[in-house]
Amino acid sequence: MANIAAKRIKREFKEVMKSEEVAGGAIKLELVDNSWTELQGTIAGPPDTPYEGGTFLLEIKVPETYPFNPPKIRFITKIWHPNVSSVTGAICLDILKDQWAAALTLRTVLLSIQALLSAAEPNDPQDAVVAKQYRDNLFLFNLTARHWTNVYAGGPSNITDFNDMVQRLLDMGVEEHQARVALSTYDWELERATEQLFS
Amino acid sequence: MSAESDMEYSDNDGDDYDYYGGQDDCDMETIDRSKSDPEYFLYSCLKVEEVEKLLNESIELLSNSLQVTPSLAKVMLHTYEWNAQDIINKYKENAIEVLVYSRVKPRVPTLQGSSSRTACAVCANIPPIHNYSALACGHYFCNDCWAMHFEVQIMQGVSNTIQCMAQECEVRAPEDFVLSHVPKPTLRERYQQFMFKDHVKSHPQLRFCPGPNCQWIFRAWVREGPRRVECHGCELLTCFSCGAPHHAPTDCATIRRWLTKCADDSETANYISAHTKDCPKCQICIEKNGGCNHMQCGACRHDFCWVCLGDWKAHGSEYYECSRYKEDPNLANDSQHAQAREALKKYLHYYERWENHARSLKLEEQTLANLKSRINQKVMAGEGTWIDWQYLWDSAKLLKRCRYTLQYTYPFAYYMEVGPRKELFEYQQAQLEAEIENLSWKVERAETTDRGDLENQMDIAEKRRTTLLKDFLDINVASSSSKV
Ligand SMILES: [Zn+2]
Ligand SMILES: [Zn+2]
Ligand SMILES: [Zn+2]
Ligand SMILES: [Zn+2]
Ligand SMILES: [Zn+2]
Ligand SMILES: [Zn+2]
Repeated sequence: MANIAAKRIKREFKEVMKSEEVAGGAIKLELVDNSWTELQGTIAGPPDTPYEGGTFLLEIKVPETYPFNPPKIRFITKIWHPNVSSVTGAICLDILKDQWAAALTLRTVLLSIQALLSAAEPNDPQDAVVAKQYRDNLFLFNLTARHWTNVYAGGPSNITDFNDMVQRLLDMGVEEHQARVALSTYDWELERATEQLFS
Repeated sequence: MSAESDMEYSDNDGDDYDYYGGQDDCDMETIDRSKSDPEYFLYSCLKVEEVEKLLNESIELLSNSLQVTPSLAKVMLHTYEWNAQDIINKYKENAIEVLVYSRVKPRVPTLQGSSSRTACAVCANIPPIHNYSALACGHYFCNDCWAMHFEVQIMQGVSNTIQCMAQECEVRAPEDFVLSHVPKPTLRERYQQFMFKDHVKSHPQLRFCPGPNCQWIFRAWVREGPRRVECHGCELLTCFSCGAPHHAPTDCATIRRWLTKCADDSETANYISAHTKDCPKCQICIEKNGGCNHMQCGACRHDFCWVCLGDWKAHGSEYYECSRYKEDPNLANDSQHAQAREALKKYLHYYERWENHARSLKLEEQTLANLKSRINQKVMAGEGTWIDWQYLWDSAKLLKRCRYTLQYTYPFAYYMEVGPRKELFEYQQAQLEAEIENLSWKVERAETTDRGDLENQMDIAEKRRTTLLKDFLDINVASSSSKV
């Protein structure tokens, strides 16, 4: 790893550790190994959003050319959000792409991702299915996001109707995550989800 | 100028040039030519050095009249699509706005002054004070970091649009600033190459020839027109508007749809690209090795059409039936499945003809090459001069031109709405097709065909071609694409 990249990451690591956001529990940064090329970030779901109460893990890969190229970041925790792929966790965020600047730091990036959870950009979607639900049925979107936060990120809202429907599909032999994706995709219409799963 | 310097004749290229245009002068003659040739488009074919000169003239003009460095002039010209006069006018009205819009200056002045530089925000080092530099925005970084930043950007192919390293700062690094931080000669060269490519792409009058490894650049002299350009280097025919192979009478949007469709449906269409067919009379297997679709079975001497396998004799007057697709009149009442099958059938009808003419063009390319060497042999053997055999060469060139247009009539017809206009189009298309096959037949047997007969056939085919283009080439549609 290039000298400047390692040096920067070490400094940024310290910066995050000292920050008030870490003190307040909003973000966290951990080393995955000792090479400084891979880190794990954690962000708390922002208040007054369907992600409130959830803890979301992020995979952070630092390229050789850092900070002249952006870090590669994706969600490890499954999340229902228009700008995050519900399949791969890939994030659509301008500062991780063409709006990256060498002077940006991991702290700002983590805070930007957290801000994205508060204010989705449905016109620049990463996940077309989620974005469509966000636009067409915001109420159902919020419930679905809350449900995913509960199941995958340890959020507090247990939505029994949704759990029951997932259980119905589990009883039919469908794998749990697959069942949840199908139901979420088809606006929790059990019949259509089943049809899609068995067609 | 001649791309065929290995040839022993000299006036061929000039002749062809005369016919298809490309001279820089816009005299009465060229204006007249646009009347007789519906595809006539005023353009020139330039070498890299000529384009560099052209761009430098704009840069110099702007740099002199605004009293800015050539590097800054480049940034502005790139932003304003090389319209120097437009920039000068706007600059007189509101200089700051022009500089901000070109991203030479920041919209909001930077607060961080030179006094606040402690450590470089990128590398966290504290280098000596003279090792810092900043763009017009005043964001100071150490020179090592600027160098790394530029290297990474250049390696990724970025040139004109390299930005400042500060967060949310969109100020662009001008050429002189970049070069002062990039000492490596290979990297400097790479940067300047990318920059040049980018300049040509951003210039509405210029377009690279899309031919593989071709270095020529087209310059359009007018805004409207069918925008057909022929490369002096690789002879490729290109549409200046969209960069696809020239596609008259089909317009840019339609040809894009058609080519995408062909790529998507390549699997389905594969089975028809067979090179062999059975003679419809004696069933012997025949391989097609010439471009002509008028086939004669070597075994039974039966004359038939390669495309529809019908009797050739019936093609003279009723070729209409071969090129035209007959839609099922009861289609609307049919099931969805039947409709899908019908849609595929329709597509395959047009695709097969499109593909077949493309293949014929390739095969006729071979005929052309053979003819060239045969004429050379004749001339060497003292059987006349190149001028005596010029007509043979011209006939093969004309055949290529006609078949090229014919190939591009098929996507046009495919997307045309059923109605009297389509009927007229398909009638003319059939007429053209018939005359082209007659010409092809005669060109393949050129040395034994009577010269007057051949020239007469050339005349007829070209007339059919220009008539069709005059009636159906929509000049306005052709220019409504990216390069205007
Ligand atoms: Zn630095
Ligand atoms: Zn700046
Ligand atoms: Zn070329
Ligand atoms: Zn075009
Ligand atoms: Zn036969
Ligand atoms: Zn036929």
